[in-house]
Amino acid sequence: MSEISQIKSETLKIAQKYLPERRFLLAILQDIQRHYNYLPAEAMKTVAQYLNVPLVKVCGMATFYKAFSLTPKGKYIIKVCDGTACHIKGSLNLLSEIETILGIEPGETTADGLFSLETVACIGACGLAPVAVINDEYHGNLTPASLRQILQQYQGGIEDAK
Amino acid sequence: MQNKKTIFVCCGTGCQASGSMKIYQTMQKIISKLDLDVEVVADIKKTGCHGLCQKGPLVHITPQEITYIHVKTTDVQEIIERSIIKDEVIDRLLYFDKQQNAKIQSKNDWSFEKKQFRIALRHCGCIANDSIDDYIAKGGYQALEKVLKTMTPQEVIDEIRKSSLRGRGGGGFLTGLKWSFAAKAQGDIKYVICNGDEGDPGAFMDRSIMEGDPHTVLEGMAICGYAIGANRAFLYIRDEYGLAVENMKKAIADAHARGVMGQNIFGSGFAFDAEVVRGGGAFVCGEETSLIHSIEGSTGEPTSKPPFPANQGLWGKPTIINNVETWANVPVIISKGADWFASIGSEKSKGTKVFALVGKINNTGLVEVPMGIKLREIIFDIGGGIEKKRKFKAVQTGGPSGGCIPESKLDLPIDYDSLIAEGSMMGSGGMIVIDDRTCMVEFARYYLKFLSEESCGKCVPCREGIKSMLKILNDICEGKGQEGDIELLEEIGSMVKANSLCGLGKTAPNPVLSNIKNFRDEFEAHIKDKRCPAGVCKNLTKLYIDQEACIGCGLCAKSCPTAAISGEKKQPHVLDEAKCINCNSCRERCAVDAIRVH
Amino acid sequence: MQIIINGKTYAANPGEKILDVARRNGIEIPTLCHSEALPGLASCRLCMVEVHENGRTQYVASCTYPVADGMEVFTNSEMIAARRKILLALYNLIAPDSARIKGLLARYHVEPFDRLEADPDSKCILCGLCVKACEELGTNAISTLNRGTKKKIGTAFNEPAADCIGCGSCAIICPTQAIEMTEAEGNRTIWEKTFELLRCRDCGEYFTTPESLEHVRKKLGETVGNIEELQLCNYCKTKRAATRLKDGLHLDEYLDSDK
Repeated sequence: MSEISQIKSETLKIAQKYLPERRFLLAILQDIQRHYNYLPAEAMKTVAQYLNVPLVKVCGMATFYKAFSLTPKGKYIIKVCDGTACHIKGSLNLLSEIETILGIEPGETTADGLFSLETVACIGACGLAPVAVINDEYHGNLTPASLRQILQQYQGGIEDAK
Repeated sequence: MQNKKTIFVCCGTGCQASGSMKIYQTMQKIISKLDLDVEVVADIKKTGCHGLCQKGPLVHITPQEITYIHVKTTDVQEIIERSIIKDEVIDRLLYFDKQQNAKIQSKNDWSFEKKQFRIALRHCGCIANDSIDDYIAKGGYQALEKVLKTMTPQEVIDEIRKSSLRGRGGGGFLTGLKWSFAAKAQGDIKYVICNGDEGDPGAFMDRSIMEGDPHTVLEGMAICGYAIGANRAFLYIRDEYGLAVENMKKAIADAHARGVMGQNIFGSGFAFDAEVVRGGGAFVCGEETSLIHSIEGSTGEPTSKPPFPANQGLWGKPTIINNVETWANVPVIISKGADWFASIGSEKSKGTKVFALVGKINNTGLVEVPMGIKLREIIFDIGGGIEKKRKFKAVQTGGPSGGCIPESKLDLPIDYDSLIAEGSMMGSGGMIVIDDRTCMVEFARYYLKFLSEESCGKCVPCREGIKSMLKILNDICEGKGQEGDIELLEEIGSMVKANSLCGLGKTAPNPVLSNIKNFRDEFEAHIKDKRCPAGVCKNLTKLYIDQEACIGCGLCAKSCPTAAISGEKKQPHVLDEAKCINCNSCRERCAVDAIRVH
Repeated sequence: MQIIINGKTYAANPGEKILDVARRNGIEIPTLCHSEALPGLASCRLCMVEVHENGRTQYVASCTYPVADGMEVFTNSEMIAARRKILLALYNLIAPDSARIKGLLARYHVEPFDRLEADPDSKCILCGLCVKACEELGTNAISTLNRGTKKKIGTAFNEPAADCIGCGSCAIICPTQAIEMTEAEGNRTIWEKTFELLRCRDCGEYFTTPESLEHVRKKLGETVGNIEELQLCNYCKTKRAATRLKDGLHLDEYLDSDK
């Protein structure tokens, strides 16, 4: 099966968990995002057809909500919390440290596909501020220096680095 | 069974981030291996947030009422051996209360708890967060039963109106009044919506309630459904709130199984059903009309009011939207009565409010206090004062829609109206404590940047006004501020407030305008003297080490990511300005405050 | 019912908006996103007025705010004028070359901002009229994309618009001429897609695209009376209608007898 037709059939399987009603557009896109870690163009076209929603409106949704990405994400997704508590405790310094080490800004992915960087609004771990989450693993009370060490561990391929 | 003990492991997101799930699992493993049935029965419960997130993971044991803080997996064996099998208290794991200058055995006696009053958070931390049995054991669904069996819809609305409950999501509109509009609106299909799209980047109380006590939200919504004649409900929850979504879905399924949701509830003929809609991640979806469009499967752009959702909401039908905390208050008002509720709080703001007390404060966490309490009591009595004994500068409330309350207003009684009078607002309840190391210009810039990304972009005042204001603030923070910038910010800000289409734009300039009003001198220092007094704006900050104060401990050098600090042990260190990137890591580490700002 | 605008009383009908009553009576309220054919966008926020109603003063968009009996409206109070100036100065940053914006700046004596630089390449004010027109036609070739300060109008995946029929409604309705539509040698190019143009059956001028004709034919379905007439340009269509009217009424005789 070609890649395109595979995406089509996988997407249809995801979409068919919902009735073909406009109100499920958001939910279906979320499930696709979860499945592929981004929204492939072919998947969006399939959803548009399934729900009978104009394709351009699907694009409008996909670019409006922060949950979606139109390009593939890296293996490790670094979410730096820039909630208010983290912000006043130095989250910007963490971001500039990441930029120095990995050369990416929020919304970008490293060329080797290893890391994506995102900022998130409050994740509710304010007691540990400033916080970053790397693939669901929380790292609290970070400083630029401690973050550098953590990133080095991920770069070294230690999956469960802490 | 006489010696039944219950272990409550806090599994709210704050404690989970500190590893509480591993503690819960280790505890289960060890207990299941031990044969405790003879003398002791231990029941382990995974609960929602206890409040004091700073000290997590938290473990609470009843009936002895012992609370342990910062529990590690390596402590679990000892806890079970000494506090479950025996009745000993492990001193090492107790909370040291600075205000009382003593170790305190039970969280109930912490200074943190003393001035709190829990209504919305009444069950958080005290019941298993995935158990309808625990909720019912605490009197859950009795309010719904009372309403269905003994009250008319009009009586329910009258009771809520009499309680003077106001919306806890920000605006503070009278809940009962809103319900009465929807009850009067024509139409046989009506909807109830829970706004769980908590978007304020410094608030997490709604999530804690949904995670820790999901049934109270459902019960509140069902009561409203009966009152206005709606049979269908939607809970719009931020997709990032994975645990809240999961617990809420389970709660709906359990409620169906138990017959408190579905057809003919309590034999009354009333039918009610709810479903969860995961939000797509957009702050503007906290606005009612945007949220409605998002549920309908469109982009979350607001539309003009009128028509108000109570008359024409979801799919054009009368719709009541309240936020999570508001819903959590409803069953209590019905059970204990409007008079009881109205006896709590200030003259025009009744009941309590949950705040996320965060920032430069000793006791970070969720607190619920009666309306009208003084700011000073929240920050110093409950919050335990400013971190590292630094100087209090201001407290920010209302998140991106609010503003800062300066030190001179510490004795302000907190309610909806007093905050608005100070140019801030209640908002959803973020309360960010700021010390002298936070730059008020940069802080205003932070909120504006957030809003520039979160504005839906539909109307020009909000989109272009915020963009222009942000450009000016960026300039000021980078040392490119000009004479007249402050006045221009005020002019554009006042237009954006007046002309914007929805609540996001109408409040967006508040953080900037309020900081200008209260901290104009800091703006002027940036513009005229090209200096950031707080030492935050990198282009305007030069750090140095005070040679008199430095004790040569070397902590600063260790924390420096660019190796800009050098010196011999026990000798004053020096900082190389050329290498320094002004990240303030050294300043945060220094115990003797020897790193100074030029 | 009656409402008072700037001190004078005017008749109004339930369901009408303030702007409707003002416009009918020649009272000036500036707008950019308002079109009588596509009302209710309320995105340009230029039409703000002050309303005194039930003892409350509100500041509302006149294009969407419904009239109520006895309400008092001010279209040019000091507050409104001051804020309008700031808002127009913001418009000047995003569409500095637009004749319409320039006209409004002159009309309301607006000084452009010295402090903030206009973007010379920017033309679109994102009022949303084009998207609404495309939606109403049922083509849905364009939409708003992104959000916040990155919002823009575009096609699916920013590719040449697959669903576009080249009708040009979006370009015609745009208040700032931000949508590029070029015609040359019998072709029309819009949204990076080139269409062949059809000639009018009567006068021979280029007037529309076959895709647009097909769209209209599909929409009208069986109800379409005279297929041939769809193949005429607007001018010739009107001319034919006028001729028919004239013939039908025997207008010549009527005019003669009047002598």
